[in-house]
Amino acid sequence: MEYTPEVVRRFDSPRRAGELRAGLPGLVSGEAEDRTLQVWVHFQLQVIDGVVRAARFAAFGCPHTIAAASRAAEWLEGRPASDVARLDVRAIASELGLPVEKLGLLLRIEDAVAACGRALHKYVGKD
Amino acid sequence: MSAEIYLDYAATSPLDPAVAAAMSDCLAREFGNPSSQHAAGKRARALVEAARAEVAARVGTAPDRIYFTSGATEANNLALKGSLARRGARAHLVTSTIEHKSVLDAARALEESGVAVTYVPADSLGRVAPDDVARALRAETALVSIMHVNNETGVIQDIESIGALCRERGLTFHVDAAQSVGKVPLDLGASKVDLCSLTAHKVCGPKGVGALYVAAGVVLAPQMHGGEQERGLRAGTVATHQAVGMGKAYALADAREAQRLAALRDELWRRLGAIPGARLNGDPGRRAPHVLNVTFPGAEGESLRLALRDLAVSAGSACAADSPEASHVLTGMGLSDALAASSLRFSVGRFTTEAEIERAAERVAAEVERLRALAPRSPEWCRT
Repeated sequence: MEYTPEVVRRFDSPRRAGELRAGLPGLVSGEAEDRTLQVWVHFQLQVIDGVVRAARFAAFGCPHTIAAASRAAEWLEGRPASDVARLDVRAIASELGLPVEKLGLLLRIEDAVAACGRALHKYVGKD
Repeated sequence: MSAEIYLDYAATSPLDPAVAAAMSDCLAREFGNPSSQHAAGKRARALVEAARAEVAARVGTAPDRIYFTSGATEANNLALKGSLARRGARAHLVTSTIEHKSVLDAARALEESGVAVTYVPADSLGRVAPDDVARALRAETALVSIMHVNNETGVIQDIESIGALCRERGLTFHVDAAQSVGKVPLDLGASKVDLCSLTAHKVCGPKGVGALYVAAGVVLAPQMHGGEQERGLRAGTVATHQAVGMGKAYALADAREAQRLAALRDELWRRLGAIPGARLNGDPGRRAPHVLNVTFPGAEGESLRLALRDLAVSAGSACAADSPEASHVLTGMGLSDALAASSLRFSVGRFTTEAEIERAAERVAAEVERLRALAPRSPEWCRT
């Protein structure tokens, strides 16, 4: 398997990896997996005043998954909550130079972030 | 990043300087065709025959039982197809699910031509039970092909017992011994093996040359046509320098080196075994000294390999390394796809040092911990 320098850089030092402290205000999470593809991704977003103040990811998967999840978390941070549903994994794939055969993995990232969006919707609804 | 540590001797090995010197000398001086009758040809022929004698001596047989090929893959193909190709639908082959791809793919090609094939599974320790082989035999079984040392786990198969049951029934027994020479004793003359595939490049010899041992009385159909070289069994001009390289490599491949390799492998496992959850794959009591296969649950395989790109190690067989599928050997032993993918094969050799073992173990421990930390609450299937 070949990896672009950007994938390798993000894989070696994945930004936004880790967990936000439980109990933080405005914290929502979502995850998705595909056992066949050997991928699991989990995102946490802290949304305050309608803005994603912090985003973190956890991932079990290939280097492309880790690099793309890192880029997705970076993209989400600082955006209006209404943008969460607009995460475009294909744009991330293009930016990182991911091979076409890895797009299935990236859809799990999209699913996990979408799960965050749904959790956010419920959270705001409760508010 | 520090210099690469090479721990992939089961894939291939560096050329021993003495082998390189012998080959270089041959290339510089002897260009004759070993089949030619003039002086240059006879000198080349003498080199080929001397190399054949070295190979034969190392595996305990007579030189006229050794036929040079382009490697073990060709030898495996010649053994299987040469034994069965003309028998068609009347023939039955028994092999195992954990054979090298060159045996499995040759078996599948034979299936397409009508040969029936039974694939005997290995147990959870990577062993093919002779009783299971016996149960797979049929009246029309013509060939049994079971490897000696498994290339992924290093497990030594019981070729003595399988050979005995083949001999009792008058069946031809083929053994792929690509991983054996210089690691475990191989005395073909005293064995019940009829066909045995050998290679040079796993024992610090050159790539592109191997041999097939053919016991007296065993008849094979040539699979290459176009000349009477190798007594009509393998057409094509014999590559003198390659044969010389294999001969020199086999002369140097003293099984006494096995003790040092086993010590290196055991030290590596002592260190890797301290990583929480690390699991050894393969029967610890029946292993070749140079191979160590370990699963690191919770560290995804492809990521582990990229993280450890300063180590030359394999996920399974190098011959299947481009395949995204999990190792057929490890899944055949009962490991899940996730665990099989989270496994690495380390293999030590002549030039491996203790310092390299120490450094490699440190690197593996650090990267397994880092990758696990990226997925601290991952579902159980990632680790089981």
